[in-house]
Amino acid sequence: MSSAEIPLRPPSSTAAVASPAENQVTRDEVEQVERALIDASTRMPVLMFYTSAVFWLLLGTLLAGLASFQMHMPDLLGGTSFLTWGRVRPAHTNAMVFGWASMAGIGTSIWLMARLSRTTLRHPLLLVAGAAFWNLGVLVGLIGILAGDSTGYQWLEFPPYAAVILFVAYSLVVSWAVLMFRFRRGGHIYITQWYLFGAFLWFPWLYGATQIMLFAVPLQGVMQAAVNWWFANNLMFLWFGAIGLGTAYYMIPKVIGRPVYSYHLAAIGFWTYALFASWTGMQRLVDGPFPAWMITASISATILTIIPVATVGLNHHMTMRGHFGLMRYSPTLRFTVFGAIAYTVFSLVGLLISLRSMASYVQFTQMSIAYSHLGLYAFFTMIMFGSMYYIVPRLVGREWRYASLIKLHFWASAYGVMLMILMLFVGGIVQGRDMNNTALSFTESTQSILPYLRGRSLSGMLLTVAHFIFATHFGMMLFGLGRSASVPTFLNPQQQEALQTSL
Amino acid sequence: MKGILPLFLGIFGTFAFSWAGLIAIPNAQIGHLDPQMDEEGNDAYPAPKSGMYDRGRQVYVSNGCVYCHSQQVRPDYAATDIDRKWGTRRSAPRDYIFERPALLGKMRMGPDLSNIGKRAPVDDADAPAPASTTSTTAAPAAPAPLGSAAQTSPAVPAPAGSPEAAPPEPTPAAPATAAAGTPAPSGSPAAPIAPADGAASPAPATAAQTATGVPAPMTDAIGGAAGNEPLPYSAGWHHRHLYDPRSITPDSDMPPYRFLYEKRRIGGQASADALKFGGPGKVPEGWEVVPSYDAQCLVAYLMGLDQSHALNEVKSAAPASPPAPGKAVK
Repeated sequence: MSSAEIPLRPPSSTAAVASPAENQVTRDEVEQVERALIDASTRMPVLMFYTSAVFWLLLGTLLAGLASFQMHMPDLLGGTSFLTWGRVRPAHTNAMVFGWASMAGIGTSIWLMARLSRTTLRHPLLLVAGAAFWNLGVLVGLIGILAGDSTGYQWLEFPPYAAVILFVAYSLVVSWAVLMFRFRRGGHIYITQWYLFGAFLWFPWLYGATQIMLFAVPLQGVMQAAVNWWFANNLMFLWFGAIGLGTAYYMIPKVIGRPVYSYHLAAIGFWTYALFASWTGMQRLVDGPFPAWMITASISATILTIIPVATVGLNHHMTMRGHFGLMRYSPTLRFTVFGAIAYTVFSLVGLLISLRSMASYVQFTQMSIAYSHLGLYAFFTMIMFGSMYYIVPRLVGREWRYASLIKLHFWASAYGVMLMILMLFVGGIVQGRDMNNTALSFTESTQSILPYLRGRSLSGMLLTVAHFIFATHFGMMLFGLGRSASVPTFLNPQQQEALQTSL
Repeated sequence: MKGILPLFLGIFGTFAFSWAGLIAIPNAQIGHLDPQMDEEGNDAYPAPKSGMYDRGRQVYVSNGCVYCHSQQVRPDYAATDIDRKWGTRRSAPRDYIFERPALLGKMRMGPDLSNIGKRAPVDDADAPAPASTTSTTAAPAAPAPLGSAAQTSPAVPAPAGSPEAAPPEPTPAAPATAAAGTPAPSGSPAAPIAPADGAASPAPATAAQTATGVPAPMTDAIGGAAGNEPLPYSAGWHHRHLYDPRSITPDSDMPPYRFLYEKRRIGGQASADALKFGGPGKVPEGWEVVPSYDAQCLVAYLMGLDQSHALNEVKSAAPASPPAPGKAVK
């Protein structure tokens, strides 16, 4: 990675980038033009994916708010079939998983793939059609769920007819990605590309295999639940996790302008991740009607994920070392580092709650919701926000208008999700404690968690504020209301001058 | 990393490895189970389900019941599920071979439902039999109150380990077959599991079925002796619980499913299916609430949930466990 690509140069680390030679400048200029051309070519499809993602984010947030309040106000809208809690909840999760997270992830992946393959995007129509079909699939699926057509499998509630549309959409996207990879320049494949390549291949295999095993040639009895958890867990790790980690491997070095600390660590991290993370999932069925070895295998794999977590965490940390101060200025870095740290926490919590002694405590409690939000929000969504703050200005040719809005977004999101996880984490432990205490009636265990659920609703309101701020800001960018400036929007403007003068 | 081929092979290999290890091999192990039978080839468990049961499960799925109710009993060494009377033994793969989807659940904002059908009063003859493949009778209300001793005898909560909590012996008269509309034979040890979660509920607990087989006077359940209250876990009880959970358990956090019911003016004769509320005020005079077909199917499904039949591969928490328990599925 050339250090000349740094958009944000730290005032102090001049040694790395100072005094470029004359010929270097011209080469830089050529690369600058190239990158601008690549960015321009990705503009249409990436913005389409992003805009759709933001729309689903808002819808999913509203559904989440409704579901959250219904949990402690069970009579809220209970008489309406399509707004009953048991339908709003899967509508929320699927809107977030397939609408927001997947579409934002694909958008970021497209841009990263084009940049890293150093070719302009070919066949943008494939991607535009892919985005359109994907939206159709999510829309049809959500209507299906709200109309009572859910399949009953976690994260697979979309009725099969919606899944087919999603699959068509996905094959359009993936065929583009393969083309892109074929036409890439340079034999070297960067770390981010490993993860993205993996994600793009794992997703269709995972989704296709699961759909076949659940709907086309359904397996018997409890094996369906095993397939379901295998899917949900691998979707989290091999799809969202791979995209999120790949994005972090790009954004962190890019923004601070240093190469990744160690390539070897990255390779170890990637392959152990692919090997161990894909074996997790069954630990969520602990003590269930399954052969014990299945569950033990997944628990062991979860413990072994400590290796990729440690290597990835160490790599990011060593890359960042001495540059943490830049998080004060760069929105991308701030969101991405938050997400990268959350990934470590997510994995450690996953390890903790998979241990048998802990699992028998927190199994069947709100802890699992805390865990999902830790992975999908604190880790993945925050990294996606970070990447969007980086990529969108390069697509629309304007910079983000208000640093204050970005800061508000960050703090509302960060406090919101941390409060939510804290509430559900503690609430889960309390609920599990009371559920396993037979001196208390069962109803007392659901009563004791009510205060935590109310706290969760509060945190959800914070997140709602964050998302509407972000959507507003994003909309302004879309309609050309961004700042026309050559410097990115920094979070602390008074420092920005100091930065500029030093450059 | 150079070259795309090693990358592709690694990505494919890890995925295939995970699929083989977590799906293919377990599927070979537990994915092709048959119902268990006794030596004569009778007493098949689990039995295929009725049409109403299957449709009821779809209603259960549509309305997201699975997000709050699990259907798996964990073993006694790991959790207190059995102490809570949610079952007499842990769940085993064989319990689910006719379930599609198998709704194991992952959350307990409500109690486990693996054996909710087992808690019904034995005499609730109109509960569609899970064992029958042709049962389409749709009259969950107005049970023939054969054992309505519950209305006369005081509610006796069954303490753990008491004879009431004993699981049924694996006799041919086990409730899976007894549910076909005939009352359990006299002296059958088919004691229902006492309600555990209802301890905070003012609703009368299921009367311990000590007076098994004692025929009670035929009273119309609608105008039941004890003030219009349906027997706990009877079909009428389920309907009222679905319609208005907090009329039965004030602390319940369950959403109401009123959209599965029709509130209508009584034209001519009152419907026999109409919900029984324990007293006036819930429904205006001259009105009644009747379950839709979906609601009837849902209740048929709930009342068919029953894993009490002993399985050879699982140790029951009973003193009278099968003499030669096979290898326990762990």
